[in-house]
Amino acid sequence: MMVKCVIWDLDHTLLSGVYLESGAQPPLPDPAMLGVLERLRGRGIIHAIATRNPPEAARYAARVTGLEFAAAECGWGRKSDAVRRIITDLGLAPDAVAFVDDDLYERAEVSLAVPEALVLSPEDMAEAVGWPEFSPATVTPEARRRGEMYAERRRRQEEARAFAGSRDEFLRYCGTAVTIAPAVAADAPRLHELSVRTHQFNTTGEAVAEAALRALIASPAHQVTTVRLSDRFGDDGLVGGSIVEFGGEVWGGRPPEASTAEFGGGVWGGRPPEASTAEPGPGRVWAVTLLMMSCRAMGRGVIEALLAWLARSAARDGAAELAVPCLVTPRNVPLRLAMAASGFRAAAGSDGLPSPDTPAEGGPPCGPAARFSRTISGGSLPELPDWVTAPGEP
Amino acid sequence: MNGRPAPVIDELRQVLAQATGREELLGTSDQTPLFGAGVGLDSLTGVLLLREVHRRFGVDVAAEDLNLDALATLGTLAAFIAERTA
Repeated sequence: MMVKCVIWDLDHTLLSGVYLESGAQPPLPDPAMLGVLERLRGRGIIHAIATRNPPEAARYAARVTGLEFAAAECGWGRKSDAVRRIITDLGLAPDAVAFVDDDLYERAEVSLAVPEALVLSPEDMAEAVGWPEFSPATVTPEARRRGEMYAERRRRQEEARAFAGSRDEFLRYCGTAVTIAPAVAADAPRLHELSVRTHQFNTTGEAVAEAALRALIASPAHQVTTVRLSDRFGDDGLVGGSIVEFGGEVWGGRPPEASTAEFGGGVWGGRPPEASTAEPGPGRVWAVTLLMMSCRAMGRGVIEALLAWLARSAARDGAAELAVPCLVTPRNVPLRLAMAASGFRAAAGSDGLPSPDTPAEGGPPCGPAARFSRTISGGSLPELPDWVTAPGEP
Repeated sequence: MNGRPAPVIDELRQVLAQATGREELLGTSDQTPLFGAGVGLDSLTGVLLLREVHRRFGVDVAAEDLNLDALATLGTLAAFIAERTA
């Protein structure tokens, strides 16, 4: 979901007023948006204009912002048509663009017609500039292939649009292959990168150091798992992972701040592995201390496959419950959707959660940590699709 | 009391069909489970649905409903919206 191109409205967005209403002295750039442009500089993100103004307005905007725009659509048609033309002209995937407009109607029109695009108000944009969608690539093999993956994803989405059938049928048609495997030490750099870069699918929001990951991978009291994804459009590599801590009472509702710094600072219940009281046996709890996935894998059945496999593995182990302590943020709503779809529920009103009656004014009412879980014994276990290869599965 | 006005349900059907890209979901009943087989709402389509609900009705379901129980069916979602927009 990296944004490669920001498409800007001009009046009251990139400019501090209305171009055509200002006579001989057109409005200056909006200072906040000028600050955004300054912060985006050097991140490899391109810019375009979609405005209901004559073409000279775009040239004026380029002059006063000092920015070279990759495309400019000036006219009175629908904004969504302008956005689509820019997407086509620049060879972008629709979800590689952000559209910024101060007008609520324009934003609604574009997000309905181009639902893949990230649609933002100028206020949103000022905050979004710090999001990973707008942040530069890093150095793992996955990061180096990011450009190609966008092309692959574009082809996949083009086919998805033309495909008549359910999502499961489409995943099968694509030759989707998900491989779940125990992590090895060589996976630590990519797992670390995922812990830093993932937000929409991340239960803790804290980075886990490579050294801490290697210790967990070697620990008999923990299970560190990798998830790889590929299909006939391309290989996305290592897109997700999980860390399970075995034990009887592994999560006492401690906030993440309470985890010990010397053990990576990111793993809840951050005791050294030796100190864990893990013993296999019926009735114990499997606690998923970290669950994370790249948002590139979103909508491709990966997080659901991992959650299903974790539940099935816990059942094979005789565990009574699979618990997923989760920091609830406005960003990780996709994770909550996946957990809801996979039969997990949060214990209400406990562990720092506000009561359901907490007013929603001023942001998410959810507390810092919720304990999602699903029972393993007695209930029906989730199915694992046959395109998932995983330990312990036929 | 029963806050499920038909126009809201109809609009939600459109939102669902748009979010999933599947026109046949315009015929989804207000009792059909959205998660699981059938509709198969997932994290991607769910986010698109929630975003559009927020935009059209001004109701931020994710911020108010930790377990996303409102997404059980179109009927529960319509009732959730009706309670907050009455």
